[in-house]
Amino acid sequence: MGVVSLNVNFALTQPWTVLFGPSGSGKTTVLRAIAGFVLPDDGRIEAASGVYFDSVARIFVSPHKRAVRSAGQMARLFPHMTVLRNIIYGAGSTSKPDDVRQISSEVIASFGLRKLEQRMSHDLSGGERQRASVARALVSAITFDGLGKPLLLLDEPLAGLDLAMRDQVVAELKRWTEQWKIPVVSVTHALGEAFQLEAEVLKIGDGKVLQQGPVASVLAEERQQLLRQLRGQDSPS
Amino acid sequence: MDIQALWLTLKLAASTTAILLVIALPLAWWIASGRSVARALVQAFVALPLVLPPTVLGFYLLILLGPLTLPGRMLIRMFGHPLAFSFGGLLVGSLLYSLPFAVQPLVAGFKAVDTGYVEAAEGLGVRPLRVFLSVVLPLARASLLTSAVLAFTHTVGEFGVVLMLGGNIPGATRTLSISLYDQVQEFNYGAANRTALLLLSISLAALLAIYLVPALRKAEGRQADVAG
Repeated sequence: MGVVSLNVNFALTQPWTVLFGPSGSGKTTVLRAIAGFVLPDDGRIEAASGVYFDSVARIFVSPHKRAVRSAGQMARLFPHMTVLRNIIYGAGSTSKPDDVRQISSEVIASFGLRKLEQRMSHDLSGGERQRASVARALVSAITFDGLGKPLLLLDEPLAGLDLAMRDQVVAELKRWTEQWKIPVVSVTHALGEAFQLEAEVLKIGDGKVLQQGPVASVLAEERQQLLRQLRGQDSPS
Repeated sequence: MDIQALWLTLKLAASTTAILLVIALPLAWWIASGRSVARALVQAFVALPLVLPPTVLGFYLLILLGPLTLPGRMLIRMFGHPLAFSFGGLLVGSLLYSLPFAVQPLVAGFKAVDTGYVEAAEGLGVRPLRVFLSVVLPLARASLLTSAVLAFTHTVGEFGVVLMLGGNIPGATRTLSISLYDQVQEFNYGAANRTALLLLSISLAALLAIYLVPALRKAEGRQADVAG
């Protein structure tokens, strides 16, 4: 097994940041370090609400105390709960139950989960589970207890969706997070998704940040390459 | 039939099981949630009664709870009488003797819970105690049943520790297994047969609970799937 050396240094400046890079480049590890599931060897992770990690000052804030909400690559819906109970599970404790119900209901409808509310996780398809997992993290972020809104971390949670459904969910996610001013960092392989989000892009490769900036400039080369491929396929051979 | 012994045995087993679950749940979760020298040491001590002759445990407890040691003297002052040769003494002995039977199934059950679910819950800002109660424990519920049943039946069947620590006082420390021993000593095989059959029934019922409940639940789930 290879040991991945990851050395990244960046600041989030835009509401939505996309980590873009090949498999194994360390994108997931970056998200897991921000969430507190991975302990970096050294460095510092700082948020508006305080320092989460500092190797010199020996600070480590437990994941549940960070103003961060995550949905991982695997949906991990709790198998002993219905979809609805999963989605309201992480709702803030100071939110009024009526508000949580209202927000959950709207998120459920916008993610096309209405008919699945009372189903158990094992009765869902992979794509349905992923949508429910994103809805769960989103409801938790919207009903966050602390001051401001938490950072929403999404690690390719929509990778299993067909293109049309993914476009719809991404559009809904963008609308929700803009409405509630929830900052997002997401990982994606999908070029179209990055462009649809009009996000800031952090291109990661060889264990470091190669480039940071608007999607149109950072991923211009990848976009050209994709267009060339499409034209090549279209033209008669 | 020694009804007094039956009642005492059931009281001892129920009290031991209830107290053990309170101790074993956090202990097993701590053991299962990481790897360290401290955890390995605690696990070894918890497992000790599995390999130790019950008479050895009974002997040390007899000394520890008696007037020869400082903790023993403190306990005598607290309760007004020595814990040895009383129900309280039996309870202490049973707790230690059945501890591994309560802890080990729980450790195995907790280790089998996918850590991804714990991370998913923590990633939603949920406190560890709530994660444990609402995610880990329900997912490990089969091991909770196994733990309770094993602790109960193991206490019902204990002999060496009870004899060393409790003596054989009717109504206070004479359990069913001691009563059976007495009946055989008195060549009263009819009574011994009834007592043995009762102990056998309790053990069999417990094992059926462990093996049948999950099987029935699975069959029920399959039927629900077909109906759905």
